[in-house]
Amino acid sequence: MASAIKKFPSGVQARRQKALPIVFVLLLFAMFMQSRIDPMAREMRQEEDLFITATGSLNNEFMLLPLLGFREAAAGLLWVRCDEFFHSGDYDAILPLVRLITWLDPHADNVFITGAWHLAYNFTDSSERSDRRYIIPAHELLKEGIRKNPRIPDISFELGWQNYDKTKDFSAAIAAFQKSINTIPWKGSDDYPYGAPLKTHHILAHAYTKLGRIPDAMMEWKRALQRSTEQLEKDPKSFTFKSMHSAEERNLAMLAQRFADRYTATGHSPTNPTPYPAVLIPPPGTDKTPRPWNMSFRPIVLSVRKNVLKMAGRINMADGARVDIRLTDWEYDLKEKERRKNISTKMLERFDVDSATTIMQESISVRKNKYEREIDMSKDTKMYSFKNKSKLYRVVVSFNPRATSPHVQDRHGYSGEGLIDRPEVIEYDRRPEFMGTKLIDGQGGEGPVWDGKTIPDEKNIKDEKYGQPNRMLKVTLKLSEQQIFGLKPISAKDIVPNEAP
Amino acid sequence: MIPFAIAQQTVREALRRRVMWIFLVSGVFLIAMGPVFGFLSPKDSQTVLRSLGLAAILLAGLFITIVTCIYLLPVEIERRTIYTVLSKPVQRYQFILGKFMGGFAVVFINIVAMGIVFLAMLWLQEKRLPPEMFIGVVMTFFQMLLLAALTIFFSTFATPVVNFFLSFGIFLVGNMSSVTDSLTSNNNPLVSNAGKVIHYLLPNFGNFNIQNSIIHPTIEIKNPNVFLFQNMIYAIVYSLVLLTLAVLIFDRREV
Repeated sequence: MASAIKKFPSGVQARRQKALPIVFVLLLFAMFMQSRIDPMAREMRQEEDLFITATGSLNNEFMLLPLLGFREAAAGLLWVRCDEFFHSGDYDAILPLVRLITWLDPHADNVFITGAWHLAYNFTDSSERSDRRYIIPAHELLKEGIRKNPRIPDISFELGWQNYDKTKDFSAAIAAFQKSINTIPWKGSDDYPYGAPLKTHHILAHAYTKLGRIPDAMMEWKRALQRSTEQLEKDPKSFTFKSMHSAEERNLAMLAQRFADRYTATGHSPTNPTPYPAVLIPPPGTDKTPRPWNMSFRPIVLSVRKNVLKMAGRINMADGARVDIRLTDWEYDLKEKERRKNISTKMLERFDVDSATTIMQESISVRKNKYEREIDMSKDTKMYSFKNKSKLYRVVVSFNPRATSPHVQDRHGYSGEGLIDRPEVIEYDRRPEFMGTKLIDGQGGEGPVWDGKTIPDEKNIKDEKYGQPNRMLKVTLKLSEQQIFGLKPISAKDIVPNEAP
Repeated sequence: MIPFAIAQQTVREALRRRVMWIFLVSGVFLIAMGPVFGFLSPKDSQTVLRSLGLAAILLAGLFITIVTCIYLLPVEIERRTIYTVLSKPVQRYQFILGKFMGGFAVVFINIVAMGIVFLAMLWLQEKRLPPEMFIGVVMTFFQMLLLAALTIFFSTFATPVVNFFLSFGIFLVGNMSSVTDSLTSNNNPLVSNAGKVIHYLLPNFGNFNIQNSIIHPTIEIKNPNVFLFQNMIYAIVYSLVLLTLAVLIFDRREV
C-alpha cells in the first residue's frame, strides 16, 4: 500500500492526507444531521408508519410509482377503477382497491369515507338486508382514517353517522360527532382547516334526542342556531343558510313542544288537549287515571322450512312502529366484543369477515297492532352459513323506543319510560353511556327529574349526570340448528331470559 | 475562476445534448397536462395537479441529473480533451469542481424551468401560488444536488453504464429512508446494525420527499423551517463529502 502511494506526486499525497480527515469529519457531521432529521421525518410520516407497524404489510416505498412521487395520481387511477367496479356491481373487487388506495395515499379522506360506507351498506342478501359482519371492518377503516387524518372532521362525522343510522348506537354516535366538532374549531369559512359542517350539530342534536338527552339536544340546536345566524349575517341571501337556520328554529321549537306535550300537564298543543302528559294518557273508555301505555307485546317465531323463519306477533302500538329481529350465532355478541378488541390483520388488510359467522337483522313495521314477515335465508348461504360450532342460535325480537319515530314515541316517551308490559319482556339498559335525562318519575331511572328549563352549558356537558335507562321490549329465543333447519318446531319453551346489554 | 470557466463550457456542451431536452419537454408536458388529469382525484383536481407537477419535476430532474452527470468525465477522457485541459495550469480538483458546477447548473436551469411552468399552472388553476409548492420544488433541487454529486463521484472510477445503475440504485435505496430507519430499531442486532450502516452512511434521498405532506394540507410538519434547513445542510455537507472523495480518487487516476 505504501509503495502504491509513492507512485503519486507528493502534492497529491499531501492533499490526500489533509482531505481524508476532513471527509471523515464531514461524513460524521452528515450522519449527525441525519440523526437530527430522523425524528422529524418519523413524525411527518407517523400516520403511515402506524399502519405499517400494525400490519407489517405493503410499504408505500416498495412501489415504483409512489417512489417516483406519483402516489396521489396512482391512487386517483385506482379510484376511477373502483367507480367502474361499483357501477358494474362488482362490489367485492372494490375492497382490495380501497385498501390499496388508502395505503398509497393515506390522506385521501374521501376514500376512507366512501370505502367504509361501501362496506357497511352495500353488501346485502337477496332481500337487501345488510351483511352486518362488514360493520366492524367499516368502523376500523374509519378509525384508521381518523388516525391518519386527525385534522379532518368529515371522517369522524361518517363514523358518527354509521353509528347513528346503521347500528343505532347513539352513544357512540354522539362521541364521534363531538370528536368531529372538536377536531378543528369552526372559524366561519370552509377554507382548510375547516371545522365540522353545520349538519354535524344537527345530527348530534338528533342523536341526543334519540338517547333521551333532551336538554343536551336543545343546547345543540342552540349552538347550531348561533352558527347559522353568524353565517346568515355574512351571507344573508344564501338559500342554504336560510334553510339551515329555519330548520334549526323549527326543530328546536318542535323539541320543546314535544317535550311539553309528552311530559307536562300544561302547555299542550291540540294533539294532546288532555290535562295529562301524553306518556301517561288514560286509554279511551277507562277511568281518568293517568297510566302508562301497555304494549302487550306477543312475539311469535315459527320455522317454515330450512333456513326460513316466520316472524309474527302483536304489539299495541301505532302504525309505523317497528319490531327488530336479530338472529345470530349464540355466542355472537361475545365474539364481536373480542373481534373489536383484537382486530385481526386479515380484517385490516383484506376486510375479511368470518364466513362461519351468521348474523341477520331485520326491522318489521307494525300495521294495526300486528307485524308479520317471512325471513328467507336459504338463498344466501354465503351470508347465513349456520356453521356455528355450538349449533345454537339466538333470536332476539325487540322494540326499541329510542329508535322509533316521533309519533310513536309520543305514546311512551323518549326512553320508553311511559310503557309497561310483562316484566319478563322489559329490558332496562343501565349502561352509563346509554342513560338519558330523567323526564318522568316512577318509571325507572335515578336522580331528580329534569325541570324542563335548564339547558346545560356546552363547556360542562361532560359533567352532566343522566339517570333514565332505556326500557326496551325484548324476547330472546335459544334455537338449535335443527329448529333453524326446519326439522324441529319452535315453541314458547325456547324463550330464555334476556341478557343485560 | 478556473472552475467557473470549466462550468460554463460544461453547460454549453450539456445544453447541446438532445436527450436532456427530451426529458425537459416531457416534464413540462406532464406538468401542463396536470389539469386534464384532474378527474383522477377522488377529492379535487388540485391534488392531482400538485402531485403530477411535483412528481414530473422529480422524475425529469432525476433523469436529467443522471444523464448529464454520468457523461461529464468519461466523455472528456474518451475524446482526450481532458489532456488539453489538464496540461494547462488547471488542478484536478478544479476540473472536478468545474464539471460538477456545470452539470448542476444544467440541472438547476431545468428544475427552474419546470418549476416556473408548474407554478404557472397552479396559478392558472388555483389563482394563487401556494408557498409549500415552492418548498417542494426547492427540496427536489437539493435532492438533485446530492444526486449530481453522487453521480460525479461514481464517474471518477466507473463507466457511464455502471454509473447509471449505481446512481439510480443508490437513489432508490436512499429513498427508502423510512424503511432503513425502521430497520435501525430491529430486534435482530445484525439487521439493526446493517440498517444503521445503510441509513446513516448512504445518502438519504428520502429526507427530501415531502410531496405527500405538502400536497395534503392536513399534515403539519412541525418546525418546517428547521426541517428544511437541516435537509439543505445535509445535502450540501454530503455533496461536499462526495466531491472531496471524487477529487481524491480522480487525483490517483491515470488519464
